[in-house]
Amino acid sequence: MNTQLILDTYIDNIIQIMTPYGSGTGFIIENLIITNSHVVSGLKEVVISSKKIKRSIAKVVYDDADYDLAFISFDMPTLSKQLSLTKKNVKDGDTTIAVGHPYGLNYTATEGIISKASRLHDNLEYIQIDAAINPGNSGGPLLNIDGEIIGVNTFIIQNSNNLGFALPYFYVQKALDNFKALNKNNIIKCKSCKNLINELTIKHDYCPECGVKLKVAKLRRKGYKATGTTKLLEDILNSLNINVTLSRRSQSSWVVDRGSARIKINYYENGIIIGDSKLCAIPKDNINDVYDYLLKENEKLSYLRFSISENNIYLSHLIIDSSLSLDKGGIAFERLFNYSDKYDDILINEFFAIELKKDDED
Amino acid sequence: MSWLNFLKHKPSLLKHQFGRGINANLADNEENLYDRSTLAFENQNILQAYEYYFKSLINFSNDKSNNNIIINKTKKRLNFELYQGSARVSGYVTQEHLYAEAILTKKANTHVALKRYILERNYQLTYANYFTDDTYIKLKLYLDNITMNPQKIFYPLRELVLNADFDKEYMRSEFSNVILEDIQHLENINEDELQIKYNFLQDWINELENKISTLPSNDNAGMQSFLYLNILFKIDYLIVPKYEIYQKINKRVQSYFNNENVSSEAKNEELKLYIYKLQNMEFKDFRKKFYTSKYTYNPVEKTSQEEITNFINESLIKIRWYKNNRYNQIIETLYIYISFYILYNYGVNTVIKSLLHTLVEVYNPKYFKSLSYETLYDIEKKDFCKKLIISRVDGAIKAYQNRFKSLELFGNKLNFSSLNEFSNSYYLQINELNFEEI
Repeated sequence: MNTQLILDTYIDNIIQIMTPYGSGTGFIIENLIITNSHVVSGLKEVVISSKKIKRSIAKVVYDDADYDLAFISFDMPTLSKQLSLTKKNVKDGDTTIAVGHPYGLNYTATEGIISKASRLHDNLEYIQIDAAINPGNSGGPLLNIDGEIIGVNTFIIQNSNNLGFALPYFYVQKALDNFKALNKNNIIKCKSCKNLINELTIKHDYCPECGVKLKVAKLRRKGYKATGTTKLLEDILNSLNINVTLSRRSQSSWVVDRGSARIKINYYENGIIIGDSKLCAIPKDNINDVYDYLLKENEKLSYLRFSISENNIYLSHLIIDSSLSLDKGGIAFERLFNYSDKYDDILINEFFAIELKKDDED
Repeated sequence: MSWLNFLKHKPSLLKHQFGRGINANLADNEENLYDRSTLAFENQNILQAYEYYFKSLINFSNDKSNNNIIINKTKKRLNFELYQGSARVSGYVTQEHLYAEAILTKKANTHVALKRYILERNYQLTYANYFTDDTYIKLKLYLDNITMNPQKIFYPLRELVLNADFDKEYMRSEFSNVILEDIQHLENINEDELQIKYNFLQDWINELENKISTLPSNDNAGMQSFLYLNILFKIDYLIVPKYEIYQKINKRVQSYFNNENVSSEAKNEELKLYIYKLQNMEFKDFRKKFYTSKYTYNPVEKTSQEEITNFINESLIKIRWYKNNRYNQIIETLYIYISFYILYNYGVNTVIKSLLHTLVEVYNPKYFKSLSYETLYDIEKKDFCKKLIISRVDGAIKAYQNRFKSLELFGNKLNFSSLNEFSNSYYLQINELNFEEI
């Protein structure tokens, strides 16, 4: 199969995984989402999305810092074609395809060859490849030309030219078999003694078998907690009945959909919070009328403003963090959400501004 | 220090605007007013707090207020006007809000490109935004006073004021049919002074041509760059043009320093073309590019003394290289380039500004003489007016020794043996100044 055909065939199996700390890739095998441990960042819950799954919260049921593997459980949709782990040996020079979401570029497939089928690193074998993989590819599948999984794209050598390393399929199979044999969720693998530990049996984050401190256990216990202005912002969104976990894009950015509008909120280090809604693109005709309308509306608006950047019309709201309160912030965001939803309709229906395509997985 | 110099210890008094920015002194009790504003904000005494804050921004020339801010307080409202070059910002403060706006131009018959420009500016600006009312295009600012303090007013108000001024000038230079509104406060420069500026501009460009001809025929791109940039900085600082000359100098300089993909030769060509365009400008066009006005904020961010010291040190190393390689024809330009570069690019304190200005005076005695200032250097005789220079230098420092206790006078440490030696010792002494506020 060629690269594009493989991607088209198995695209529904490819998952985007998001945490407040970053994003990565995963793929479905045996009704579990496989990814890297570093992608889930020691969290019990992550946000996932795919062609068949809208942004949803999913549980991390297995976290293995040794193999840098994690398994995520979710009520999976029915897939017409399912991925499977290869049973064939991989050889130097074999063609490979890496699939992932590098730098947020969803469903990017890059072709390369196996430079070395077994490269030893930290006592584990890795498949060294020359396919261009980048941040965001982590946890994504490495496929052979038959569309079988030969590894999990795990790390690259920084500032190198296409030196990528994938955890081979046999480690994945072994981890899957061991996990399934326990028939329990919330399992942490100890990096020191390699035992699988039921999270419920862990006390003070120490491995009950070998006594080493389990970093993953500590991270899972603490979870992600917003602080300061970020927490206040999330409290405000929460008070507006917005699912904060699903709207969070990073520790300092959130996306909210309201009607036909999509609003992005960013908190900057200089204490400024900007809510931006990219409403539509400027129309082809009567552009002057649109400009007149936007500038005139700006006269009426005290806190909000219309602007243009790269052909798109924005409605924005600026708040200085120290003047933010639960009540005032709630009113401010509600106003931005409602006006965004109202104005994109006006601009599209009355001025024939161009509707923007919305990426549902974003 | 001689007693004669002691008697002359006063900061020099300038009758003309030089360079960008305020060109004036803040009130002696500026810091105290700022602190009182902070306290009044803490006590929720908002109108009083704004009154102190605005008063801290009033600047003075020869101890007389420049009226760059006019305030009128009633029981429930404080109205204000604030001036910055071509912009007059008017507004009011209540216990709850601040509203301020600047009128730019009439909205009727505005070109579509200008509307697009201001809508794009709305995306770039953080606090202020453009709108139209029934008659005008305006830039406005609306702030809540709930958790206000002087620091939080500073950035939004500065953004409004500086951008209103910048965009008015930009609009006039970019859109020929734009007529700026609300500019009654701008004052014309008298014709004699304009003629002096025009004549010197011509002379400097002629001198530049002669200088270029003395450069080695190959490998001279770096030296040419210094000469072209130096004259643009010099025009900006000494001639102080507005509107399109100001804008185009800005554009050329930015393009020179920000465009890494273009060769020095190509960049020099761009600078050269514009300089010769200035040379060919007739007086009747030239005279339209000037006005005098009041200023409230410095257009450039404050620069740390460390950054200035680093720039001077790096420049002196470059000068040594040119000296060692016997490119003596460029040395004098390189020395004064340091001053012009700093005055153009950096937000310097009053002491540094005054010291650099004195050096600029030393290098341009004919220009300053024609503006009725005393001569600090005789080019033909290569003779310094030592006493006056020492008095200027020490006066500039002494005026701020109360604030910066570790500042030391250096007039008597200067080397007057030649212009180059003098410049070298001058910059080394500037680098020794200690601005710690102990």
